[in-house]
Amino acid sequence: MNRVTIAWRNITRNRRRSLLTGGIVAFGFVSFALAGGFMAQSFDGLRNNAIKSGLGHVQFADARAFERSEQSTLEFGISAADKAVAALRADPEVAVVMPRLEFYGLIGTGARSVPFAAIGVDPAAEAAGSEIPKGVREGQWLKPDDRAVVLGRGLAKLLNAQVGDSVTLLATTPDGTLNAVDATVSGIAEIFIKELSERYLALPLPLAQELLTAPDMVSRISVVLHEPAREPQAAVRLGAALHQSGVDLAARTWRELALFYQQVRVLYLGIFGFMGSVLLVVVFLSTANTTLMSVTERTREIGTLRALGARPGRITAGFVVEGALLGLASSLAGTLLSLLITAAINAAGIEMPPPPGSAKGFVISVQVIPAAYLAAAAAMVAALALASFFPARRAARAPIVDSLAHV
Amino acid sequence: MTLTPLLRGRGLRRSYTLGATRVEALQGVDVDVLASDFLALRGPSGSGKTTLMNLLGLLDHPDAGTLLLDGEDTTGLNENQRADIRRDCFGFVFQTFNLIPVLSAAENVAYPLLLRNTATETMHKRARELLAAVGLAGKEQVRPDLLSGGQRQRVAIARALANRPAVIFADEPTASLDSRTADTILALMKQLNREYGVAFVLSTHDPRVVERADRVITLHDGVVVPEAA
Repeated sequence: MNRVTIAWRNITRNRRRSLLTGGIVAFGFVSFALAGGFMAQSFDGLRNNAIKSGLGHVQFADARAFERSEQSTLEFGISAADKAVAALRADPEVAVVMPRLEFYGLIGTGARSVPFAAIGVDPAAEAAGSEIPKGVREGQWLKPDDRAVVLGRGLAKLLNAQVGDSVTLLATTPDGTLNAVDATVSGIAEIFIKELSERYLALPLPLAQELLTAPDMVSRISVVLHEPAREPQAAVRLGAALHQSGVDLAARTWRELALFYQQVRVLYLGIFGFMGSVLLVVVFLSTANTTLMSVTERTREIGTLRALGARPGRITAGFVVEGALLGLASSLAGTLLSLLITAAINAAGIEMPPPPGSAKGFVISVQVIPAAYLAAAAAMVAALALASFFPARRAARAPIVDSLAHV
Repeated sequence: MTLTPLLRGRGLRRSYTLGATRVEALQGVDVDVLASDFLALRGPSGSGKTTLMNLLGLLDHPDAGTLLLDGEDTTGLNENQRADIRRDCFGFVFQTFNLIPVLSAAENVAYPLLLRNTATETMHKRARELLAAVGLAGKEQVRPDLLSGGQRQRVAIARALANRPAVIFADEPTASLDSRTADTILALMKQLNREYGVAFVLSTHDPRVVERADRVITLHDGVVVPEAA
């Protein structure tokens, strides 16, 4: 006989009421666990989108490029890009190295000219390390030696350009002169932000360097790792490797660069926190009624225990242990229920519409997040313990003779 | 030889508000409880005997007057100190037994020991001994709802004895029992009074209790009625 066994016997004393209370708690638990699992899937999707949009896991550039925009073409460009890329590719933890050259210019078809925002890329590396090539809906992605471009759908529309059309690219070189190259439209990509779609242009890195008369220069180098969890260590190690090869660049992890991800994450956590709080209050209020009934029914018993010498604090603690124990048992039931529902939802293959900034819908795949389960259990145990505490404290402090006379 | 009272109440007053009426339940009662006493408090309903017993057992606070336990004033004690005195010095037997339904007979008896953080083995041993002493050997694991009224009252008496109290307060202990069982319970309490030296204070209407008492205090309208010479 100890407090826990006595508490458990009291829980099983009125099975129907305990089942009702436990059911409410289990429902609250399942809501927490499933919402947590769905949110985790959303975060994973956003993270992958951010990384595969070309950020990579770690990005290297001139330190100033991370602080402010360039006032002239390649103002903060990386010289000896080949050497830097080779040094990065030599690291065993590096999966893909994506050098990128970013610049602005004008594209013309003869009939009209439109400004563009271009990225010069290594087509093969981009195909391996980013999702951008998959956005090409007409024509095809770039090939390394192509004198070709991929246009955003919006830009192609403004130009009235089709796949196979010839275009002329005009840009300012780092020394301030104008240069132009001819290219063919190799593909048209779907970009889901209208403003970006109307400016988007991708071209092979050699062609971009030729246009800018900047051989062996890039704006930044994105690195995709085999082991994403070790980004900070990789950033330091790769930075040292670059330094050894004679190239000094600053590093930023994708977390530091993906502002959209961070903002959405904060927003989601805020929404989840708010809804979780509301749910917790609902669970608290729902269970408070049944715990109050339980305490009231046992008023005489409380008087007896106090007559026998139990201090008010001990009696209150007994009810709190009961509440916590019921919360724990209900959380265990909630865990089983959550796992079953998670398996059922994942097996059902429910399609969701495309999230903001994405073309593709996704199939719900609720994750099992131990931290969410633990947090839900802690919240439910705390809610029930609290719901028990207030009526129990009041009853335990009532005059003993009144409690003993309670009918 | 004058015995020092275990409990000494002087000028005890207690009133209640019942709806719009103020009831003077006790109007300045003087009472002594001696060690090994078998004291009956008798009187009609509303005479104040239960109120007096509640004050003596530290279940209630007097509006006025003093209550000394072993010569120490109890009026200034806080709730926890009063709880500790009830746990260590007093036992209680109620008219309706007031056993804890989720505990077995032995666990009910052991509960006061649990409040003193007694070792489990000691608790079990003491509970078995006390249940045997009240004639309930073999009923240790039985829940109260499976016991008869007399058996429940025996368990309550065993529970009251668990912490070797100086005084056991029994409020109408025979009221819920048939006459034969009531006789048996009274005989048991008297026997325990002699064997364990524990004082009993019983509030009662029952003349059989009065017959067996060493001393009788009669209350009427909240005052002690002087015994006829």
